[in-house]
Amino acid sequence: MSTAIEIDDLSFAHTGADLPALERVSFRISAGESVALLGPSGAGKTTLLALLDGRLQGWSGRVSVLGAPLDPDRPPPSARRPDTGFVFQEFALVERSTVLRNVLNGRLGRMSPLRALMGSPTKHDLEIARTALADCGISDLAERRVDSLSGGQRQRVAIARCLAQEPRLILADEPVSNLDPARACEILALLTGAARARGATALFSSHQPDLARRFAQRIIGMRDGRIVFDVPTSELNDNATAELYREVEPSPGIGLRAVS
Amino acid sequence: MAFRGFGGFATSGLIATAILWSFATTDVEFSRLLSAGPRIADFLGRMFPPDPTVMAEIKKGSAETLRIAILGTLGAVILSVPLGILASETMVSPAVFRPIRTLLAFIRAIPLILVAMLMVGAVGLGPLPGIIAVAFHATGMLAKFYAEAIDGVSRAPIAALESAGAGPLVRLRYAIWPQMAPVVARDTIFRFELNLRESLILGIVGAGGIGFYIQTYVRSFQYDKAASVTIAVVVMVIAIEAINVALRRRFA
Ligand SMILES: Nc1ncnc2c1ncn2[C@@H]1O[C@H](COP(=O)(O)OP(=O)(O)O)[C@@H](O)[C@H]1O
Ligand SMILES: [Mg+2]
Repeated sequence: MSTAIEIDDLSFAHTGADLPALERVSFRISAGESVALLGPSGAGKTTLLALLDGRLQGWSGRVSVLGAPLDPDRPPPSARRPDTGFVFQEFALVERSTVLRNVLNGRLGRMSPLRALMGSPTKHDLEIARTALADCGISDLAERRVDSLSGGQRQRVAIARCLAQEPRLILADEPVSNLDPARACEILALLTGAARARGATALFSSHQPDLARRFAQRIIGMRDGRIVFDVPTSELNDNATAELYREVEPSPGIGLRAVS
Repeated sequence: MAFRGFGGFATSGLIATAILWSFATTDVEFSRLLSAGPRIADFLGRMFPPDPTVMAEIKKGSAETLRIAILGTLGAVILSVPLGILASETMVSPAVFRPIRTLLAFIRAIPLILVAMLMVGAVGLGPLPGIIAVAFHATGMLAKFYAEAIDGVSRAPIAALESAGAGPLVRLRYAIWPQMAPVVARDTIFRFELNLRESLILGIVGAGGIGFYIQTYVRSFQYDKAASVTIAVVVMVIAIEAINVALRRRFA
């Protein structure tokens, strides 16, 4: 089976941060897998996904995405490649544009710059955008402006934009943490289902163990920039997740002194 | 917030001194001040009834004021696009936007009428100095507004397009511009309204427009004609405001 993501001994610190956001991270994801990155806030999930999307610079280790190695010294966006799609927690849509326009924006990287600037998508581009809208169940919203949509509808638009890129890898950073539980399940089912239908690899982050368990075949647990476990979903036990979310134990005496 | 301690005492002293100094050095005789009431009443009496025969002058003057405001605003927009980009912190480094912002603040500090007088001196009488003055003066505010519009844009959709493989110009067109457009439209209309109001008086210093007739009629004691022009100006200001309210609603 071919490899979608290969990471070997990756470390990275944000400029100005004392502690590294990623520390000696290694894993490999095969093409077509659906994997969840699980971990509490601050674990390094966003950092890892942004790095895989080619938006960070100056890390150490080896990273390759869809068979092509990333260069840690190239200023971002180093991997401005249409075949990796990204779904953002806060949707990242152009609010005043229509749903169709936002989905067509996913095609911009696939067009010649001139065609993109002229704003003239081909029949093929439109067809792909319409298919993406239909797959996300929002064909009837095509002409609506995004600022009139609900959160769940917005994330559907964002996924449709991602699908319009014809991605072979879908990265999603907490795609459902702004949504209510019922909406969250719908959206994750849509995301992982669309990836599977296209034979694409999906890597999504979440801080909710039950969602990761339900929608991923494999779960990578992160904490403090390190990988704590990396197991098939069927082997995930509650002790492991409990360890992931264990409170940092306060040093003795601090609690008392803080009150006085 | 009362004046407190020595600082407060000094401030009160300073204000009192300023008022006394103004009275002492202004050549206002009390007799003239007392007769000012009746004189103003007399003046207003001579303005009444307004002379309606100056309709042609009013039309000609307001058309010229409108042209000055339109072309002045156009000039300001043309100057403000590059200056606005150079004054925005998302587009350029502090080494660029700081001095540009200072320059814009200086421009804003110079009153329009002063710029107009200087321009009349530079290029002669007529609407041209008025247009240049309005364009220059308005740029101080409009370029600042444009910079704020650029800086107010949400970054997330820009990052999303970048991630999808779109280049910088394409991102400007599809992620930055759609977000800025309504702000730019609103700011430009707002500035046009100010330009129109402010250019009503440019004629007084010979920089074209309807103000020229007010000046002429007052100088030649034709107060009834001056009154007609004044009424026309007031009507124009109200009309501008009404149109503006409607436009602003359109761009919400
Ligand atoms: N731009 C940044 N500058 C400095 N530190 C950052 C930045 N972004 C994230 N961090 C730090 O890196 C660590 C990992 O953050 P992040 O990747 O956002 O975690 P997660 O997405 O799992 O919540 C945190 O300690 C966070 O404070
Ligand atoms: Mg995060």
